[in-house]
Amino acid sequence: MIQSSLLAYIGLSAILFAIGFIGVLLRRNAIVIFMSLELMLIASTLALVAFSKFNGTMDGDVFVFFILTVAAAEVAVGLAIVVALFRQKQTIQVSELDSLKH
Amino acid sequence: MFLSLDPFLPALGVPLFIALLIGLGLPKRWSVRLSYIGFLAPLLSALHVWWYFASSNKVSGFAFYNAYSTGIDRLGIGLKFGVNGLSMPLYVLAGIVGFAAGLYAIRSGADRLKLYLMLLLVMQAGLMGIFASVDIFYIYFFHELALIPTFIMVGLWGGRDRNYAAMKMTIYLTVGAMLSLFGLIAIYVKSGVNSFDLITLKQALADHPLELIKQQHFLGILLLGLGILVSLWPFHTWAPLGYGAAPSSASMLHAGVLKKFGLYMLIQVVIPLLPEGLSHWSHLLALLALFGNVIVIGLVTIAQRDLKQMIGFSSVMHMGYAFLGIAAGSALGTGGVVMLMVAHGLSVALLFLLTASIHQRTETYSFNDMGGLARKAPVLAALFTAATFASIGLPGFANFWGELSIFIALWHCSAWMTCVAILGVIISAIYGLRSAAYVFFGEPTNSFKLVDSHRPASDITCSEKIPALILLIALLFVGFYPASLTNAINSSLPASEVHSSTQANVAASH
Amino acid sequence: MEISVLQHLASGNVWSSLWPELSLGCLALALLVLEIVLPKKSHDVISQVAILGQMIILGFVLFCCHSSDATTEIFNGLITLTKTSHIMRVFFLLASIFVSLIARVSLAKQTMPKVEFYHIVMVVSAAMMLLVESSHLIMAFVALETVTIGLYVLVSYSRESALTLEAGLKYLVMGALSSSLLLFGIVLLYGVSGNPLLAGHTLSGMHYQDLGNFLNLNPHNFLASVGIILVIAGVAFKMGAFPFQIWVPDVYQGAPTPTTAFLAVASKAAGFGLLLSLFHTVLLSYSWLVIPVLSFMAGATILFGNFAALTQTNVKRLIGLSGVSHAGFLLLGVVASATIPMALGAVYFYLFSYLLASFLVFCVMAHVAPAEDANQELSHYVGLARDNPFLGAILAIGLGSLAGIPPLAGFMGKFFVFLAAYQAKMYSLLFVAIIGVVVSIYYYFGWIKAAFFESSEQDAGAARPARTEVCWCNRLIFTLVALATLGLGFYQGALGQWLNW
Repeated sequence: MIQSSLLAYIGLSAILFAIGFIGVLLRRNAIVIFMSLELMLIASTLALVAFSKFNGTMDGDVFVFFILTVAAAEVAVGLAIVVALFRQKQTIQVSELDSLKH
Repeated sequence: MFLSLDPFLPALGVPLFIALLIGLGLPKRWSVRLSYIGFLAPLLSALHVWWYFASSNKVSGFAFYNAYSTGIDRLGIGLKFGVNGLSMPLYVLAGIVGFAAGLYAIRSGADRLKLYLMLLLVMQAGLMGIFASVDIFYIYFFHELALIPTFIMVGLWGGRDRNYAAMKMTIYLTVGAMLSLFGLIAIYVKSGVNSFDLITLKQALADHPLELIKQQHFLGILLLGLGILVSLWPFHTWAPLGYGAAPSSASMLHAGVLKKFGLYMLIQVVIPLLPEGLSHWSHLLALLALFGNVIVIGLVTIAQRDLKQMIGFSSVMHMGYAFLGIAAGSALGTGGVVMLMVAHGLSVALLFLLTASIHQRTETYSFNDMGGLARKAPVLAALFTAATFASIGLPGFANFWGELSIFIALWHCSAWMTCVAILGVIISAIYGLRSAAYVFFGEPTNSFKLVDSHRPASDITCSEKIPALILLIALLFVGFYPASLTNAINSSLPASEVHSSTQANVAASH
Repeated sequence: MEISVLQHLASGNVWSSLWPELSLGCLALALLVLEIVLPKKSHDVISQVAILGQMIILGFVLFCCHSSDATTEIFNGLITLTKTSHIMRVFFLLASIFVSLIARVSLAKQTMPKVEFYHIVMVVSAAMMLLVESSHLIMAFVALETVTIGLYVLVSYSRESALTLEAGLKYLVMGALSSSLLLFGIVLLYGVSGNPLLAGHTLSGMHYQDLGNFLNLNPHNFLASVGIILVIAGVAFKMGAFPFQIWVPDVYQGAPTPTTAFLAVASKAAGFGLLLSLFHTVLLSYSWLVIPVLSFMAGATILFGNFAALTQTNVKRLIGLSGVSHAGFLLLGVVASATIPMALGAVYFYLFSYLLASFLVFCVMAHVAPAEDANQELSHYVGLARDNPFLGAILAIGLGSLAGIPPLAGFMGKFFVFLAAYQAKMYSLLFVAIIGVVVSIYYYFGWIKAAFFESSEQDAGAARPARTEVCWCNRLIFTLVALATLGLGFYQGALGQWLNW
């Protein structure tokens, strides 16, 4: 019983993680890519909380706070870069960011 | 008191220290003055080692043995110096050729002379280190130390095609060196003693020889790697190109001394450590050396129309004899190889030196544009002819003894091979004498007259004569008094024919 | 909860043991204060304060902190101080000092504010130290994210350059992606290790040692294997190992030169520090999975790095891809260390030789670079040796050491790693590595050729940016580092004994 509902949580988080991962790889808009990245972090958070509950340890719950903080910092820096880039190039489509030599 | 000092430290330390000083920005005048000391110190050390070799105490056959820690003794690596009968003649060779090349370089007035001298000093230190080291790792290490300046010198001061030549030399020699390193690490690990110390390894492998199949594999890898370094046919193509492009002092040191590293490694390290492996390869090695190096390259050499290229090819050809001596697998053959290495080192260095002198006077290397230089420069002509005689292997020169003992050793294995090999002597007589004739005799060509008219050719100058005479005297000295080296060589070779199985194998294959 | 329990827990918080990290952080804060206090025209002093302060900390770390073999666990298992972490402290401090030195040269060509750069470099260095000291996955993740987010800022530091911002965005996306992979891997490992139905389940599944013990008892758990693969993927991004090296050329090219140096040396070393501490506690329990994966990565990394570097003409991309190949050689040593203890020493020796050599090369790059930092072409080096023999010599020594040419430290590093790899019977990888070395000689040689062999008459310096003069202080430091590179080639004892051989 416990195992099956744990599996549901883990399954959901794995699906969210996969959606985020594919989003990062396929989407072309920098903002959407950020959203996908956040989705991946949130998927991990969900799994952490579920494991923490079912394993009966607090480590996972504590970790969630750290992850939220980290995600906030990441987005803050990321959006700053996107804004600065938009000022320079008037676009945030990653397909148009190819000035660095291949 | 004097004997107890380590003669090797100054031979390595002085050139390196002076190179470092030059690198740190010594003024040009002082650089030149100190360079004399930098080249003199190895020579003195070499003569000292030669003179006291017989009377010195020996540790497992190594005279003047000294060990220094570099902090990684636990890995079985340490700076250990000493010479035995096989390395002593080569150590002396390195000292003499290095001194001659250095003297010539100092007076040559190359542009960016400081950098040139610095690189030559580093190279000289590396060369002395190769033959003074007992630790295999350091033999390899010093070889690389001497090799790198060669690339730079070819690239910076080289003649035509220098970029291509430098690149090709770098790639070929790096491949060869890496393969050899791989083989050496294999011996290190598989010997079970985890040591690069030659004495320890010899002891360990004498007690517990490796399995036959391993010996054969390792020897194969090492033969390939070292063969590339010694320009074994068909891996020789870097050599004529590189020597053709290199500045003369670099050619002297590389062709004269550094290239002997591969052969030295084979006779000093590889074959004593893997004695059973040789018979597996000796037949192939002998065939490659005989038909590839001696005959094919010999004929190619005859076809050359460029003096420097021709000497480069001739040095590839003479390496064939050395490989034949190794393939013969007897003590006599090995002794002959050492003798030939010394003799060839002196004679090819002399030839490269004189070639540079000729080029100064004719401004060309092409036979078509030369002729009649003997009238303007009779002493140069005499020296060049003498060097050619030495290179052919006429009696009276050191080369004669080397080739003679190799032929005798080879005769014990295979008579027909010996006959073919002797054909090679005729080939080298043809191209040697022809080149002397083209350059010095006959009517002056129009292009030579043109060069001569706006810059009259003088005879050989003092700064060229002294290094040339040093080399020639050494050749003649060994030629007339071979015991000066052979006593030492004999002391390090096993008296009995330990490699008799090898000979049987070569003989049986016909 | 009893107060005594809390007191007991708090007694593990030995803040004094973390004094190098703390003082580095305080120094970083002090720089910001100085920027406010000092008048604008004397802001140049701040960078000098930064470098001198770090040198003093380095001095204290080297001479006051006797490295013992003892292992102390503090903060209730969050941090474990070992001899290795001490070695890595010295490494990151040196790297931080070197990057600050390069920044002094390189940032002078820009109009950007400069103080924050030193500030962030120091904070990131402190976080790197914590990363390799951590013995708990939460600690490791937080330290890693501190490093990564700091590096996002450093990579996109020149915010007026579109190229730099593009590099910053690429680095951010790839970095965040790899962090997510690592995080998900951690979560899976934590979840599996706490499962009450499995043998040896543990309450502290984030702690390396406990996690390792659990994995030893459950050697073929599917979720745990997935977790381990994800963790390796996250770490591989930091190291720039195949197949997570795709960001390397673009980001290295676009980032400001000092940041590139920081990425190439410190970030890579932090990845390896984390991998090594995980490898010997957690990952080796699954050696059936980890060893093949890492071996494949090592081989592919060496080949990719070297062959991709062959065709580059931009030196920053070139050095980036050559750095990828160095990561491959280091991975070789890491894999060998599974069975051969000496391989650990080899990896650390390699890291130090790589640090010294990279510093020399990046210094020369900073001096030669044009104002538009991303466009550093090989052609800018034509005639360098003639016009500025000192920089030419430094470049030659640095590149020679990177290429692994005796008698420089890089050769000994490669040699030790190869020796260890042979002892670990990794023959085919060794063969790949030898191919890699030969190929690498080619492109390093091409760079040296540009600086030394090609004459500058034909272009007459028309297209070439002006080179910065080397001040006497830098001259002294470069000479010392070059001599250290030479010296380590001849005498390894200085480092070798310390690295516990």
